[in-house]
Amino acid sequence: MDFTGIVTDNQSMVFSIAVRFLRDREGAAELAQDVFLQLYEKLSWIESPAHATAWLRRAICHRCIDETRKRRLRPRVGLDAVPEPATESRNPDLLLNERLRRMVAELPESARMVVLLRYQEDLDPMDIAGMLNMPIGTVKSHLHRSLAIMRGRLEKQEICK
Amino acid sequence: MNLDEELIAALRREAAPENFAAGVLAKTTLAKTPSSRARDWAFRRPAIFALAAVLILALVLPSAIYEYRRQQRGREARDQLIAALSITRVQLQQVQEKIRRNTRHRI
Repeated sequence: MDFTGIVTDNQSMVFSIAVRFLRDREGAAELAQDVFLQLYEKLSWIESPAHATAWLRRAICHRCIDETRKRRLRPRVGLDAVPEPATESRNPDLLLNERLRRMVAELPESARMVVLLRYQEDLDPMDIAGMLNMPIGTVKSHLHRSLAIMRGRLEKQEICK
Repeated sequence: MNLDEELIAALRREAAPENFAAGVLAKTTLAKTPSSRARDWAFRRPAIFALAAVLILALVLPSAIYEYRRQQRGREARDQLIAALSITRVQLQQVQEKIRRNTRHRI
C-alpha cells in the first residue's frame, strides 16, 4: 500500500473531523498525525484504499472522543475555543456557518460525532451506528435531538436580534 | 431555512495545514513498521530463547537434584542393609558352630 497516497487522499477528512470535534487546530493536527502513524504501523494489515479510509475515519472518531474525555481532566484551550469579538460579519453565510459550527461543538460528545459523520462525511445512520458501536435508534435520536436543539437556538438568536 | 443544507455547508471538509502530510511522513521514519518489528524480533529471538531455557532449567533442576539425592539415599540404605545382613549371617554361623561343638562334647 502507498502510504503517501493514503495520507494525501485522507488528510482533509481526518483533520476536518478532528478540528470540528475538538475546535483546536493545533491539537487536531497533532491527533490526526498520530492516527496516520497508527495506520502506518498496521499498513500490512490494510487491504485497499477504501479500507484505509474507513479505518482512519473510525480511528479518528474514537481518538477524538478519548481526547475530549482526557481534556475534561486537564483542560486545554485552543484558539478556536476562544469566543470571537462581537462584530458583524460582512458575509451573513460565513457568520451562519461559524454559528452552526459552534453549536455543533457545544453538543455532547456522542451527539457531536454523530452530527459530524452525518453532515460532514455524508454517512447514513446505519454506517454511523457501525462506526461508533451504537444502536441505530440511538444514532437517529442523537440526530433528531441535536437538530431540534440547534433549530431552537437559531430561532432564539433570531428573536434576540 | 433548511437546516440540513446549512449544516452540510458549514461542516464542509477543510484542507489540512500545509505541512501536515510532510509532518506525518517525517514521523514515520521514527515509527515502527511491521518489517522493523520483525527485525527487532529476529534480534531479540536468541535472548528470548536463552531466557526461556534458563527459566525451564530453573524449574526442572531442583526437582531433578531432589530425585537424584532420594535415589542416592535409597542406594546407601540398601548397601547398609546388605552389610548388616552379612554381619548377622557371619555371627549366626559362629553361634551355630559353637552350639555344634558343645553338643559334641556332651555326647
